[in-house]
Amino acid sequence: MTTDLAIEAENLARSYRTRTGWLRPQRKTIEAVRGVHLAVGRGELFGLLGPNGAGKTTTIKMLNTLLLPTSGTARILGYDVARDALEVRRRIGYVFGGDRGLYERLSALDNLRYFAELYGVEPREQLPRIQELLETVGLSGREKERVEGYSRGMRQKLHIARGLLHRPQVLFLDEPSIGVDPAAARELRRVVADLVAGGTTVLLTTHYMAEADELCDRIAVIASGTLRAEGTPAELKDRVRKLDVLEVEVHDAVGPEHLQRLRDTAGIEQATVETSGTVDVVTVHARPSHGTHAAVLAALADLRTGKVTTREPTLEDAYLSIINGTTTGSA
Amino acid sequence: MTTVSHASRASRALRLAFHGGGLSYRALFNWTTPPMFIGTLLVGPLFQIFFFVHVGRSLHVADDRFYLLGNAVLATSMPCVYGAIMAVANERRFGTLGAVLLSPRSRGLIWGGRVLPYAVNGLAVMTFMMLVGALVLGLTLPPSTLLGLAQVFVVAAMSCALFGLALGALAVRIRDVYVISNAAFTLLILFSGANLPPESMPGWMNAIGSFLPLHHAIEALRALFAGASFGEVWSALVLEVAVALGYAALAYGLLRFFEWRSRANAALDVM
Amino acid sequence: MALPTRRDVHRFWRLMAVGVRTHVLYLSRSGLELVMAVFAPIVFATLAVYLFRAGDQPDRLLQAAVGAGLMGVWSAVLFGGGGAIQEQRWMGTLETLVAAPTRLSLVLLPITFATAVVGMYSLIATVAWGVVLFGIPLTPASPLLFVPAMLVCVVALGMMGLLMAATFVLLRNANSLANGLEYPVWMFSGVLVSTATLPEWTRPITWALPTSWAARAVQAATGGGEVVWPSAVALGLGLAYVALALVALVWVERRARGTGTLALT
Repeated sequence: MTTDLAIEAENLARSYRTRTGWLRPQRKTIEAVRGVHLAVGRGELFGLLGPNGAGKTTTIKMLNTLLLPTSGTARILGYDVARDALEVRRRIGYVFGGDRGLYERLSALDNLRYFAELYGVEPREQLPRIQELLETVGLSGREKERVEGYSRGMRQKLHIARGLLHRPQVLFLDEPSIGVDPAAARELRRVVADLVAGGTTVLLTTHYMAEADELCDRIAVIASGTLRAEGTPAELKDRVRKLDVLEVEVHDAVGPEHLQRLRDTAGIEQATVETSGTVDVVTVHARPSHGTHAAVLAALADLRTGKVTTREPTLEDAYLSIINGTTTGSA
Repeated sequence: MTTVSHASRASRALRLAFHGGGLSYRALFNWTTPPMFIGTLLVGPLFQIFFFVHVGRSLHVADDRFYLLGNAVLATSMPCVYGAIMAVANERRFGTLGAVLLSPRSRGLIWGGRVLPYAVNGLAVMTFMMLVGALVLGLTLPPSTLLGLAQVFVVAAMSCALFGLALGALAVRIRDVYVISNAAFTLLILFSGANLPPESMPGWMNAIGSFLPLHHAIEALRALFAGASFGEVWSALVLEVAVALGYAALAYGLLRFFEWRSRANAALDVM
Repeated sequence: MALPTRRDVHRFWRLMAVGVRTHVLYLSRSGLELVMAVFAPIVFATLAVYLFRAGDQPDRLLQAAVGAGLMGVWSAVLFGGGGAIQEQRWMGTLETLVAAPTRLSLVLLPITFATAVVGMYSLIATVAWGVVLFGIPLTPASPLLFVPAMLVCVVALGMMGLLMAATFVLLRNANSLANGLEYPVWMFSGVLVSTATLPEWTRPITWALPTSWAARAVQAATGGGEVVWPSAVALGLGLAYVALALVALVWVERRARGTGTLALT
């Protein structure tokens, strides 16, 4: 089968039916993913960003055959995820973040040997491949220890080694850097970058914007089960580049009425507040205009305001404005 | 003024014991869903009765009533031992134990209240076993035994739940506490006297049994059905109450001790 | 469908070997499993011996010990298989097993055989405790068939375990099923005492359980009687259960993917 696309999804959707209560069960249908289109080329590093519960993991689980789509189709390297699950599984790796998913009472080596067998790695290749991967992720020398004594970062390295055992052409990384310290996270980014340089296609979900910005060729933002935007990091940032970002330090508590007043002000696209230390920081995205500065301060007139700064929008600003649905036009 | 505050303190204590206990039952008992409840607490023990009745008949060890009475009482160990252990052990699994130990309230009320729902659950299980078991095996429950039956069941359930709590206390420090629950459960099958007539058990077995819960309760129940007087029944029940109080004291002591040790060694959330 | 090549056959045995090793190793490192593995055989051997002594068959103590051991084999397969699947669901490894490019039945078979190996140990330990603690003479009626009959029993139960594993993958609360199935199977397969005194309508249940035939063979090797024929039936039934499990697992996997019950979250 020949196709230039590593991952294709058309109108991919998934709903869950839940039941709560036993005597008088209440049935609810939750639409986790509603009609997602994706096209990821071979060798691309594609990022999927979105808030918690946006449908990222559900999307990944449909693409890696663990969940059947309720409608729509998806293909990995040309193989349908619902019908040709075995063919898909031969070609993909799946790595997820967190503490779970490993045999705690076994050593890293035993974990890898078992999965090497399950992933169909040639018997003669198994040990050299395991050694090579332990080297790559930096677990050499620790492989005989039981996983229960591993730190979060070490577990994550082991997860990645396991996901790469059978040299998958497509790798799914579901929040791999969650709870990992900055040094380990940087290590992880290096491993991912090397993989992509070697021709592997990677689909990555993450909450860390800097990580996505640094690594990804293209990014899709998903919220409430639908794709809100797609493009290169630069393209996404361009969507907010025509906006100014204003940060105002406030020494009193900022209430919802202030934010509403700001949002109602002409030229202001978005206003959010975050408490940092003893001050609240109000972040405003506004269309460039000479009056903005004064208008913002007027809206916060009954509060004690401090330093006001203007800065370039970051990927995080772009992300926030996309998921809040305030950007105009598409990339 | 003081009477009002006494009353309100008493009501707050009751609220902590009953309401808190009930909430913890819902939060921490793994077996509240109908399939788990039916499969584990009802069907399993019912077949335990039938199995031992069958063994008793085949080997001519004792009659059906002997096995029904013994195993109906033994069935309470399912919710009581496992439940009371989960009431402490699951706190650790969910990582909530630290938050509970931060509470300024009385430890006796917090932990003691947790035992109550399991004891009630045990009562329900025993009643079910007795009714269904008697119906299937064609045994009668004379009305004269019902009052005594209720007394035996209440004492047996409390005793077994307190035993469970004492084992559960170990969960504050021991990670794989289900080792203990499984072992305790197996021990009760052998030593409680539910399945072996006391006269065919060697002395050391009877001795071990008399320190475990349910042994005296089963004895009392069999005496009751053999037509013994209330006095005779209660002489066995008093021993069961003594065993229960012993485990209550042990549970309280262990929980306080481990709480103190955990603070000293910072070993609370090793898992 | 193509016939399996020599390479496929080789891979199958390798997968079984590595899988059984991994899971036996994993089970052997659990304090729970270890304590129960030492403890349960002693308790059940003691219970069986005293029951037989209290009853009218004090001369059949070897049968009592073997019967108690067979009870242990069934518990090991039932709770071992169920527990393994349930634990993997908790640990999050069940998804990685399903996502592996190996047929689910081939992934699960080593798990159920690992539990049968634990059961085998428990059977031997129970009989050994009987000999050590109660001085039971180890004089089986058919010394040559005693060990083969026990091996057949373990293999038959391992195969039966695959069907159990299929239900455990499908149902989130499958251990409720396991807790409810321990005593009925002991009773209907006559592991400790004969099923002769059970009501007539329970006969089909007895015949359909590989455990019945395996227990009959082991008990015959212990106390006298036909060994080969019931062993063959046990293996045949075991194979039928595997066939059923293979069909069921295709459906189970699809359904688990459909309902999303592989993960806890």
